[in-house]
Amino acid sequence: MAGLVLVVAFVLLALIGPLVTGDPAAQDYLATLAPPSGAHPLGTDDLGRDAFARIAHGAQVSLQAGVLSTLLAMVVGIPIGLVAGFYRRWLDPVVMRLVDVTLAFPFLVFAVGLAAIIGPSLKGVVFALGFSQLPAVIRITRGEVLAVREMDYVAAAIADGAGDGHLIFRYVLPNCLNPLIVQATVAIPGAIIGEATLSFLGLGVQPPTPSWGVMLTTAQQYLSDAPWLAVWPGLMIALATLGFNLLGDGLRDVLDPRSAR
Amino acid sequence: MLWFILRRCGSAVIVLFVASVLIFLGIRALPGDPATVMAGEEASPAVVEAIRHEFGLDKPLPAQYIDYVGQTLTGNLGRSTQDQLPVIDIIAERLPVTLELSLLAMLVAIVVGVGAGIAAAVRRGRLADYVATGFGLAGLSVPHFWLGLLGILLFAVTWRILPASGYVPFTQDPAQNLQRMILPALVLGTGFAAILMRQTRSAMLGALSADYVRTARSKGLSEAKVVGAHALRNSLTTVVTVLGLQLGALISGAVVTEQIFVIPGFGKLTVDAVLTRNYPVIQAVVLITVIGYVLVNLLVDIAYAFLNPRIRLSGGTRD
Amino acid sequence: MRPSPRLVAALAVLPLALAACGGGGSAGAPAAPPSISDASADNRPVKGGGTLNVALSADPDALDPSISTTLVGREVFANMCEKLYDIDAQANLVPQLATALPEISDDGKEVTIKLREGVKFNDGTAFDAEAVKKSLDRHRTWEKSARQADLAAVSKVTVADPTTVKLTLARAFTPLTAQLADRAGMIMSPKALDAGNDNFGASPVCVGPFKFASRTSGSQIVLEKAPDYYDAAKVKLDQLVYKIIVDPNVRAANLKSGDVQVGDNLATTTVKGVQSDPNLKVVSGGGLGYYGITINTGNATGSTEKPGTVNTALAKSPQLREAFELALDRDLINKTVYNGLHEVDCFPVPLNSKYRAADLRCPKRDLAKAKQLVQASGVPTPVPVTLTSPNDATNVRLAQVIQQMTKEAGFNVSVQSAEFVSTLEQGKSGKFDVLLNGWSGRVDPDGNLTNLITSRGSNNYSGMSDPGIDDPIKQAAAESDPAKRAELYAAAMKKAAEVRGVLYLYHNKYYLGMSKNVAGVQYFQDGLPRFVTAGFAA
Repeated sequence: MAGLVLVVAFVLLALIGPLVTGDPAAQDYLATLAPPSGAHPLGTDDLGRDAFARIAHGAQVSLQAGVLSTLLAMVVGIPIGLVAGFYRRWLDPVVMRLVDVTLAFPFLVFAVGLAAIIGPSLKGVVFALGFSQLPAVIRITRGEVLAVREMDYVAAAIADGAGDGHLIFRYVLPNCLNPLIVQATVAIPGAIIGEATLSFLGLGVQPPTPSWGVMLTTAQQYLSDAPWLAVWPGLMIALATLGFNLLGDGLRDVLDPRSAR
Repeated sequence: MLWFILRRCGSAVIVLFVASVLIFLGIRALPGDPATVMAGEEASPAVVEAIRHEFGLDKPLPAQYIDYVGQTLTGNLGRSTQDQLPVIDIIAERLPVTLELSLLAMLVAIVVGVGAGIAAAVRRGRLADYVATGFGLAGLSVPHFWLGLLGILLFAVTWRILPASGYVPFTQDPAQNLQRMILPALVLGTGFAAILMRQTRSAMLGALSADYVRTARSKGLSEAKVVGAHALRNSLTTVVTVLGLQLGALISGAVVTEQIFVIPGFGKLTVDAVLTRNYPVIQAVVLITVIGYVLVNLLVDIAYAFLNPRIRLSGGTRD
Repeated sequence: MRPSPRLVAALAVLPLALAACGGGGSAGAPAAPPSISDASADNRPVKGGGTLNVALSADPDALDPSISTTLVGREVFANMCEKLYDIDAQANLVPQLATALPEISDDGKEVTIKLREGVKFNDGTAFDAEAVKKSLDRHRTWEKSARQADLAAVSKVTVADPTTVKLTLARAFTPLTAQLADRAGMIMSPKALDAGNDNFGASPVCVGPFKFASRTSGSQIVLEKAPDYYDAAKVKLDQLVYKIIVDPNVRAANLKSGDVQVGDNLATTTVKGVQSDPNLKVVSGGGLGYYGITINTGNATGSTEKPGTVNTALAKSPQLREAFELALDRDLINKTVYNGLHEVDCFPVPLNSKYRAADLRCPKRDLAKAKQLVQASGVPTPVPVTLTSPNDATNVRLAQVIQQMTKEAGFNVSVQSAEFVSTLEQGKSGKFDVLLNGWSGRVDPDGNLTNLITSRGSNNYSGMSDPGIDDPIKQAAAESDPAKRAELYAAAMKKAAEVRGVLYLYHNKYYLGMSKNVAGVQYFQDGLPRFVTAGFAA
């Protein structure tokens, strides 16, 4: 429950926050590094920008990075996993070797390379994070296909001459749904932290777009002069990931009886 | 069995081949010509051309690839374009550093993670459980780099009980070495400790409610014995599996940790090499990472096959 | 799993509590760091021995004077590779391995250099005119040498006698002495060159107070006191250890924790914190280089190629470029982005240079005029501009301030940050609209101009090509009278300021953080800390 509340609060912040707060890029050189006050409830950053507005807009970036990268991994990974699971003789070994290569490839090298090719941007972050989630999605889907095909009633359907399409939509996909939803709630917080890490390394979204990772990077430079700058984005990252993790735990208990404690 | 091992080795070779092509093409797709980078800001086009020629960058791609594979197979990894040192020496210097860091982090993760997991499972629903579970979630929710920065600020700057960063080889001064490695290992280990804690807790809970444990209890065994001898042993297989799976993530995490603590390890080498378009070094480090990963997996697969003959029959990929 | 609300609350405040602990808090702004002259007046007695740990802000490239192109590389060379000439605290050229400033013939084409006697390289080899010739020829003619342009005027090096070399020049070239006071004047041991010419940088041997001991790639460089040094009695330290610490905050933290005793190139955001530490002090140097905004005006296919047409609003309209400049408030940029720690200027030659004419003035921010110029240009507003910036925190901050200031005049600047290496590549190849970049600076003004703003110069990223800029700079290089050179440079710079291929913002100062018990460090305008007389205060 706490997880759901946190996640809903986070989504609301991302959706409504930017509407009620001011311009996150508006600079005020007379009020730089100001501590929290009436005008700026969370203080201002090194360029006098309102930290509250940036937190609210940053929530959007984090949410997009988390959700879009996970979606990307699902959209690309599920069909691959299905195909690999169904055509075991030809495609499966190829796909699984590629998955091995992907897993073996250091994620950060890939992310740095991608940032260099398409330039640091939210798009690059989403691609890099989505790519890194791909092996997990492919493996889960493929595993479910293999498990489902072993089931008696599915074997019966195959014997009756049911087509692959029928099998996929009638039996396999519904079975994949639960583990994939659980995977998503694990992947999204991972991606939120991933976005922060990439932004911290200078490979994230472009200024003046605020993101929590970018805010932390800025804050890091002023840790001794303006510690409150670091508090909010750090807190938000922790809370958002906490929310998704709790939600994931809850969903796992409900959806995935195999891992119930 | 022999057939199985051969097949696994065969696919490992394929993975290595695909990876080597990907690495090779991948770095050449990066914008930023290494010859320009090497020649520096002030260089004239003639100098850039001379460097390009020296490193064979003016040859067609297939010829470059053959050169690269040929040299690699004969153990010649070339010289770093950044500082002219032989790549093989650089790697021999850096790899042990990251291995030490990873091992220490692993140790932290096992001690803290497994300990907290057991405590949480045994004291389910009580304070210890909440504290441990809370730690588990916090460990998953806080970014590495953030933890690292706070660590430096607290331990090195505010309290001055640990050095801020840097590295002293273990062979040179073991005490200094450990003193400098403890904070990075803690930072790197926290995330894994959190994962381990969660896995251990749920595995232990499963084991504690299993029939054989109930039987052991009913036989009047002390609680400590029940937990230690029966439940824990059965949970450890889960833990070992998780540790194996997390190996790759540990190496990735080492990149950021090394960056913050200025540890001259493999991860930092990797990022620096990409940022300076140091082709010989990138090729070598990525290849070694891939080899390491493939080897570990090969060993795990073979070990699994020994332990569980069913896997051998069903094709041998772990899912 | 159902965590209690209490637990969630406790978790929520955890990062908060941690962060609050982190705030050391330094109230009260300390005075600006003392300048070079004060720093070099540190005459406290120094005791012998000890290891000095120095944090370097970047990993140097190959430690080969012919190849090296980085400022951090020069920092290491400053303590291990002496040059024919050097600069002093006032940026005057003084002899180092030579015995006096060069004798130059009346037509300026014959340069005679007398060398010190009884000097040995750090491998024991004798230093003589043959060795000088070997190194100069390598700098000049080796295909991989980055010094070819520095010594382009030299057509021949001859050994007159064991302590005299003669350089024959194709044309009179006054900046030559200054070039010989930098890497082009570093003399390498002929024995080491014979042993492995291409890989000299892996274990360099020169004449210097310290000799190269070891290098761990990306981590540290160790130099040891050189027993063969001709002035060895002056050298106090046993060992110099350069530690590469790229992150400015970590560099500052290492200074505060005492892990290093010297930290180079402090970020302007960390200067105050280091200064307020009771055990540390900060001295300033530098000022020879500059930082600015390069506008692509004619670099269509590469800076060394023939200029072509660039299809951006700013490239096509000088009016818009003027408006862009008038929208900037340089003082406010310095204050906001750099805590006011750099020297604001709009010309490339240092403020206190004797080659700088007195009548060079900078425009103030004039928003009304900027708006008016944008209107008059007829380009629909907002005028789109793409600003390429290196992706470090300081540059990104600068980019955002520029974005904001020019927005008010009718520009819409979108920032594209990229790794430094990529920005360099984009600059050279002309694949940019507007670029943030700088120049580390040279003692002779020619080094801040010829390659940077004359036609087809290797670093003329803007692609400027104007005889009003090229001709006076060329004439000045052949002129030996400082006053006349100053006049010629002023003419070229005024013309360049009209073309606006580069909007200079400031001269960068370098800040060196040091433990208070370190004395005898020399830190001049070139920003290279010299440790020849340094040591721990007795």
